[in-house]
Amino acid sequence: MLGLTLVTFAIGAAGLGGLTLSLSVLSLALIKGHMVGDWFMGLRGVRGPWRWVIAPWLLLPGVLIGVAFTMASH
Amino acid sequence: MPASRYPPGDLAIWIFILAELGVFAIFFAAYAFARVGHVELFNACQETLDRRAALINTLALITGSYFVVRAVAAMRIGNQGGCVRWLLAALGMGLVFLVVKVMDYAHHFDAGVTLSTNTFYRFYLSLTFFHFMHVILGMVILAAVALKARAGGYSVADHTGVETGASYWHMVDLVWLILFPLIYVMR
Repeated sequence: MLGLTLVTFAIGAAGLGGLTLSLSVLSLALIKGHMVGDWFMGLRGVRGPWRWVIAPWLLLPGVLIGVAFTMASH
Repeated sequence: MPASRYPPGDLAIWIFILAELGVFAIFFAAYAFARVGHVELFNACQETLDRRAALINTLALITGSYFVVRAVAAMRIGNQGGCVRWLLAALGMGLVFLVVKVMDYAHHFDAGVTLSTNTFYRFYLSLTFFHFMHVILGMVILAAVALKARAGGYSVADHTGVETGASYWHMVDLVWLILFPLIYVMR
């Protein structure tokens, strides 16, 4: 998680931009969010619907942000 | 640990967490769609932000979350002293976040930035300050849990309070992990 954070920072510090890179950075953030849910919040040890309680929250804003950045790039 | 039907902690905190996450999700989407009409403004203002400070804060929150995981693990085996020490370490990381963020705000306020400056700063200040308040609340909760743990208020059989406080703290971390790339990096 720390490594993914440093990659994200390096992309920002290099002043890199563009749709592909933005969506890649967003994907890294969503992966980290999933890791927080699974490992820190302990959801990997949960069975049933509560196992996926964080996933929709990551997906919905993730898709909306992705759509907005795609619109902004055109 | 055997699989459970419910997440760790009091179920009520999870309802609260979902409500909080919903508000942040709306905030994030609003920022992203507001940016559509002001791409150049948002990119230019983003350059004025201190990414190094944001990196330190991200590392502080992730590390703090890890410390909270260790605190819960310590209490599960009845190590109350260990639980308190890990919680204090997590509080230290929270303090790092607050100090860095206050310095960041001071820099912007000195430069004359306010909520009225432009759309980007309105989002930047309101989003990060809303999160800042959650960090403070998370620290108050962790401090209360640490005090109760020190007084012997939890046990191997009953440590739901520790897990409840931990879940809230992880939510604060989770929100920042999306906020950091969205506000500081994506352009």
